[in-house]
Amino acid sequence: MTQKPEDIKVIIATDCGSTTTKAILIQYDEEKGEYRQTYRGEAPTTVESPFEDVTKGVLNSISELSELSGRELLDENNMILKKSSPSEGADIYISTSSAGGGLQMMVAGVVRSMTAESAERAALGAGAIVMDVIASNDHRLPHEQIERIRQLRPDMILLSGGIDGGTKSHVVDLAELISAADPKPRLGIGFKLPVIYAGNRDAREEVSGTLEEKVDLVIVDNLRPVLEKENLGPARDKIHDMFMEHVMQQAPGYKKLMEWTDSPIMPTPGAVGAIIERVAQLYDLQVVGVDIGGATTDVFSVFVDPEDEKPVFNRTVSANLGMSYSISNILAEATLPNISRWVPFPIDERELRNQIKNKMIRPTTIPQTLHSLAVEQAIAREALRLAFVQHKSFATTLKGVQKQRTIADAFVQTGTEGTIVNMMNLDLLVGSGGVLSHAPRRNQSAMMMIDAFRPEGITRLAVDSIFMMPHLGVLSEVHPKAATEVFLKDCLVYIGTCIAPVGQIKESKDVMKYSIDLPQGRQEGMLRQGEMLLFPLGVGEKASAVFEPTGKADVGAGKGTRVETVVHGGVVGLILDGRGRPLMTVPDDKDARIQQMLSWLENLKVYNMDELKALGRA
Amino acid sequence: MQTSGYRQAFRILIIVMLWAATPAGSLGVEPEDAGTGLPVIPPMNLVAADTPNDNGNGITLRWDCPPGDDGSGAVISGYVVLRSENSREGYLETAVLGPGTAKYIDNGPAADPVTGEKIHFIRNKPYYYRVAARYASGYRAVSGASGPVQGRAQWFHDGKIPVLTATVLFFALVILYIQKARLQGSELYVRPIAGMKEIDNAIGRATEMGRPILYVLGLGSPEDIATIASYTILARVARKTAEYRTELIVPCNEPIVMTIAQETVRNAYMEAGHPDAYSDDMVFFVTSMQFAYVAAVNGLMLREKTATNCYFGKFYAESLLLSETGNIAGSIQVAGTDEVAQLPFFVTTCDYTLIGEELYAASAYLGRDPLLLGALKAQDFAKALVMILIVAGAVLMSFGIDWLLEIITVRM
Repeated sequence: MTQKPEDIKVIIATDCGSTTTKAILIQYDEEKGEYRQTYRGEAPTTVESPFEDVTKGVLNSISELSELSGRELLDENNMILKKSSPSEGADIYISTSSAGGGLQMMVAGVVRSMTAESAERAALGAGAIVMDVIASNDHRLPHEQIERIRQLRPDMILLSGGIDGGTKSHVVDLAELISAADPKPRLGIGFKLPVIYAGNRDAREEVSGTLEEKVDLVIVDNLRPVLEKENLGPARDKIHDMFMEHVMQQAPGYKKLMEWTDSPIMPTPGAVGAIIERVAQLYDLQVVGVDIGGATTDVFSVFVDPEDEKPVFNRTVSANLGMSYSISNILAEATLPNISRWVPFPIDERELRNQIKNKMIRPTTIPQTLHSLAVEQAIAREALRLAFVQHKSFATTLKGVQKQRTIADAFVQTGTEGTIVNMMNLDLLVGSGGVLSHAPRRNQSAMMMIDAFRPEGITRLAVDSIFMMPHLGVLSEVHPKAATEVFLKDCLVYIGTCIAPVGQIKESKDVMKYSIDLPQGRQEGMLRQGEMLLFPLGVGEKASAVFEPTGKADVGAGKGTRVETVVHGGVVGLILDGRGRPLMTVPDDKDARIQQMLSWLENLKVYNMDELKALGRA
Repeated sequence: MQTSGYRQAFRILIIVMLWAATPAGSLGVEPEDAGTGLPVIPPMNLVAADTPNDNGNGITLRWDCPPGDDGSGAVISGYVVLRSENSREGYLETAVLGPGTAKYIDNGPAADPVTGEKIHFIRNKPYYYRVAARYASGYRAVSGASGPVQGRAQWFHDGKIPVLTATVLFFALVILYIQKARLQGSELYVRPIAGMKEIDNAIGRATEMGRPILYVLGLGSPEDIATIASYTILARVARKTAEYRTELIVPCNEPIVMTIAQETVRNAYMEAGHPDAYSDDMVFFVTSMQFAYVAAVNGLMLREKTATNCYFGKFYAESLLLSETGNIAGSIQVAGTDEVAQLPFFVTTCDYTLIGEELYAASAYLGRDPLLLGALKAQDFAKALVMILIVAGAVLMSFGIDWLLEIITVRM
């Protein structure tokens, strides 16, 4: 791309998903001096037979965009009109892709919790689905590891291991495993599988000697040059390059699509990660983003590492947690009692199981009744919770790092297993995916996110309005200003702010005194344990607030310490969550539990309460 | 005077009662001490009984001192305890006691006045007792006989019921927790010990760095508990180094410790499925001299550039020398010792330190053996109980309430 950012006024971005291709139009508003997303078009993806050409779906979605906007975007040859004028064309066209299963990778490293984990982080950060992790200590015999590589047929392998100047023998052993497996790529017969080596630089020669003839070997800087530091950038960049050069070249129609785009095509999750990372960096925020899909749930986070005080981006894919194809796995992992605790009316096990299995065999159906909506949202809470638990266990400080101690540490020796996810420091929680973005009421999205993620202290909540984070991720590589402006103004629908004191307070006791200067007047009162309150505060509105937690509660400044702050509104408003953290346990008694749920749901205006209570009576 | 008449009548009444109460064979009672004018009364209500909670080598005698005994010796200069195997005759002196004495445990020999022979107290033999009060004026008033009574051994010392209760409770807890550990398996919660959790990472670090791991068993003898605990941890470390294919170095200070360590490491390598990777040279004897050993191990650390150093066992003055060298060499260090004096040195120089009993707990933590886990949990529970009793006792005693103290006091 040779255009200067200031010359870019009209942008077309597409995301080629497995089922639909989504196009958005972003235009520069001369009057306001800002970029805004204006139109959105959608068409079925055409990567599978009978079309086997991804560009057909792309053109269809852009045609829809053209019709909706009244702007000519395609010429008579059905090519994107480049160079914009007031009524036609676009300055740049960019795209992401997850069609055909996205980028599927295997990673290998010497120790599972060290270089192999760093390699996994690099691959996930680049937007790949990590099919398996091979490590010297994964308790599998060499023939099992070879068999696994052959079976999975990844698009790419990332091989790492050893610090610079560290072990060579283990890394060469891993290279020999790959060589023995002689893996073939998933797409493109006759092509060599791309293998990126990002391990001990002293072992490069031996690794080259072992793999050169069998695979397309690329060597980059070690992703763990010393154990105290990760250097994931070179490996991530090379994964993107190889994705373009090898994987995309083999997918139907992608060669043509690559010629059209003004920036390399990014894997969809990689693009989502990119925009979250950029926004976090730009506005100095600690962010969690979640995309709950039908088959998988992606969680992205940017948190400051307490060890070196630098923001760290992490992404995890929970491949077994999704709202349609994988919905039965949620039941298996979360167990029935955990799901039914969120259902605000009596439901028997058989009924719940039937609904879950029906959703699995009819994945495209959406809830038509309040009953099925409430059940689906109960399941979503557990899927999100489990995905976040997995994310927290992955987003940890580096392991195997030397510690310096003083005598004061005698009784507080912490290990390196600790997660860097500190919910008290979380500034923004962004939800995405059908169940969150398309919930009939935003209050439902808010409640689901609060129940699943359990934000602590003061946290802003938002949802991705029309799932345009992938588009903005790839745009952020070309035009960061446009991407961040659209992200904050059009992509995110601010739900409001959740204020959740941390601490375990006894039932019905005082948790926090609050005083909020709302536009309609000051609201003062006492939040009690187990209570949830909602105050209206619209999108773009701010309110000064003073929170005085009781001795055992903490809203971010320490136990019992008063906090004066400005809180932001949203479509739902301000939510005061007095259920404590860890979240109070719901009563075992079914009636008491339902009463408890109903009081929360009523206070937060989550459902039509008359209908919901009628369900309970029925 | 009226008062004097009452006193006289009272004296006569006592004399009559004593006369009536004196058994046949009494050595006689003088009616009145000529010096003081008081009646000469023998010790009253003599009771001889087997001494409780002993091994049968004593009989306890109790009596009431005559009214004139104020403990000063002015009226009654003392008492003589007499013992016989026959109620009527053959009483021998076994003890001479001071004035004011009202209790005596007889377990000593009696001297035969004729032969001078010492006749020892014999368990389970019936004896009769009398106690004579010796008046300062020279009179001697002897009580009636009490007996027969035998010195018998007791099965249980009832003053130690709190000890029995605590013992029963503790063993019940051990059995309960062992059962629980068996049922719950590895799910039984044991507080994670950061040092133990990090051992895997420390071995991983050595593997990634391509450098060896040093394991020091300390200067203890093979029978020291700390050394025994260290073998368990060594087994775990060795199993991991076998799995990770990382070099392990175990320099020993004691030949027998070396032999046991060799066996431990060999077994661990076999269990890990890599017996071929084991070599006797991994575990070797250096020297028995403390500082020569330190010099050798420090040299090893610096030459071999060990990535991870483990110190588990008994350590003395060498602890800081070893761990400081390791720290300077940039190794991850994990230490554990029950030598309290050495802990500050380890804490400041090592990445992770197992404090005191954590070293023993480590074996349970690593092995997850129900027996060890159950015993560990029971010990923790018992310690918690003791702490609660101490606090509760202190609080109650502060308010003058002593029933808790009464319950838990052991009477010897």
